[in-house]
Amino acid sequence: MVTYVTNFSRSGLYDWMAQRVSAVVLAVYTIFLLGYVIANPGMDYAQWNSLFSQGWMRVFSLLTLVALGAHAWVGMWTITTDYLTQMALGKWAGAVRFLVQSLCGVLMFVLFVWGIQILWGI
Amino acid sequence: MFFGIIVLLWGLDKSLASEQGFAEVKECLTGGFAKLVVWGLLSALLYHLVAGIRHVLMDMGLAGETMEAGKLGSKAVLVIAAVLILLAGVWIW
Repeated sequence: MVTYVTNFSRSGLYDWMAQRVSAVVLAVYTIFLLGYVIANPGMDYAQWNSLFSQGWMRVFSLLTLVALGAHAWVGMWTITTDYLTQMALGKWAGAVRFLVQSLCGVLMFVLFVWGIQILWGI
Repeated sequence: MFFGIIVLLWGLDKSLASEQGFAEVKECLTGGFAKLVVWGLLSALLYHLVAGIRHVLMDMGLAGETMEAGKLGSKAVLVIAAVLILLAGVWIW
């Protein structure tokens, strides 16, 4: 069982589930937005702005931001615990790994807040 | 992909902030280098998406659990992702 203290939910199974649920949200949003842009060539500012002004689109976008945060965290956590190990880096591995994870966490949080500002700033 | 999000959020921010910002982003996207960056981002995203869908299918036991199915699945991901990436390139240029 996974018991690292930086593990997202203190449970590998829950992380596994969060990774997949967030993946579905991200996939649906990506396909929707790409499809929308492809289906509307030569879109103008008014149409783009009105899409993101609608309540459901803001909720959908915010949900995607939350999913992105969870998905990126579990993903980066997995990568850092797989590769930034004692075997690869020696005795400072723990500190290096924690530092990289912290940077990812801070960056993700900044992006999250920025996203909210964009969505509610228009 | 982590850093790609920054570029995408920047584009979203600017394009939604004002009519002028929208025009600037549109203008920027006509440049060759910007197109290359967007294509790179879309490529990473599409490959991640296709491989991720295979992952979920495998989790649900729908992708077969033999060595043969595993090899076929990983090849299918590469082929499908390559086709989508090519289509994305056609769309961008």
